[in-house]
Amino acid sequence: MLKLTRRVFQIAIVVAAVVTGWRFAMGWSLTSVEKYCPFGGLETLYAFLTNQRFSCAAGELNLTLFLALLGLTLLARKSFCAWVCPFGTVSEGLAALGRRIFRRSGRSPGGGYRQCLEPPRAADRWLRLLRVPVLLLILYFTYRTGELIFRGYDPYYILFSFHGHDVMPWSYAVLAGLLAAALLVPMAWCRYLCPLGAALWPLAAVGRMRLARSEAACTRCGACDRACPHSLDVSGVDQVRSGECTLCLECVHACPAAGALELRLEGVRR
Amino acid sequence: MRVSPWWIPTAVLVLALFGIGSASLVAVPSYTRDFQPAAAAAGAAGQRTTVLLVEGLRCVDTAERAAVQLEGAPGIIRFEAFASRNRAEVTYDPTRTDPAAIIQAIESPVYNEETGEVAFGVYRVVEVDGIPRDQIPATGK
Repeated sequence: MLKLTRRVFQIAIVVAAVVTGWRFAMGWSLTSVEKYCPFGGLETLYAFLTNQRFSCAAGELNLTLFLALLGLTLLARKSFCAWVCPFGTVSEGLAALGRRIFRRSGRSPGGGYRQCLEPPRAADRWLRLLRVPVLLLILYFTYRTGELIFRGYDPYYILFSFHGHDVMPWSYAVLAGLLAAALLVPMAWCRYLCPLGAALWPLAAVGRMRLARSEAACTRCGACDRACPHSLDVSGVDQVRSGECTLCLECVHACPAAGALELRLEGVRR
Repeated sequence: MRVSPWWIPTAVLVLALFGIGSASLVAVPSYTRDFQPAAAAAGAAGQRTTVLLVEGLRCVDTAERAAVQLEGAPGIIRFEAFASRNRAEVTYDPTRTDPAAIIQAIESPVYNEETGEVAFGVYRVVEVDGIPRDQIPATGK
């Protein structure tokens, strides 16, 4: 039921983004998809705090959604990525498709998300750091110019704005590259490039909700590891403290041992 | 403390609603221009403000250009744009201008001096003080 609920959340938000983007592109509405992007709130935060102004097309909704996102992340880690972000949904869909392709070709033993091309652990760790310079560059140039310079590269905006303002021919090349990457490496954009993911990372690491593994109930079958779209090591820890956990609960759904994985709210004593 | 996984969608939903709902509490203009700073600061009696919903007003740049459109129009005191809401608030002297004249000024195309082509005249006022444009009298001062 919970898995279905997450799918309903994801699909509803993708449909809302498509409808909003299409209506704006056709001139039927003045509301663009970028108004609902919390990253716009971060992009405009500096201008807002220093001059009480917004950058470019960013506005109050971007800002309040970003602040709400900070609250959500402190409580439920990167649940935004797994439950809300429409490009996260697209990435998940492509990862599932990639899994099928690779399984059929017989190239990837192991099952789950790890059937796709998975960088070695050490490379994966380093690649995840790529998001930090991406974030810093975007914020630096946005603050410097007052323009939302990331628009032409933002896969969410390119995909759902239906050739919106600042979307250039090369934007589609960027999008195609990212979609192809998502097909090969699960959640490639989210794991290695997403600037919002980088911004939320430190807060997510101290997020109060955590998945805890019961040593007594766990059979160490590794199903949770294979099910994790972000390739986290669930079976090797007592609590998933990683700032990458999106609380998608795929590991919980995949776990055959009842009670081996459960959600805990830390910092609250009974 | 062990909690139900249903806390996650509940938290997502509550905070999304909080984010959307609290946006109306933040009213900060994207761009402000005082055409008559002394009058704008004094807020003299008799001034009026009209609220326009403007197609094409979508960012700080387009707000600046919309203000340029009002240069030379008589009676304009202050122009404030809320770009993310496509909204402009124009304070004016009602003895010298009216909303119809303001709309006309904002919508007038600007031509490129070299080519003679329309450089920008991309604004279309769709609503005035909450009333759809087609219900506004077409006269201007």
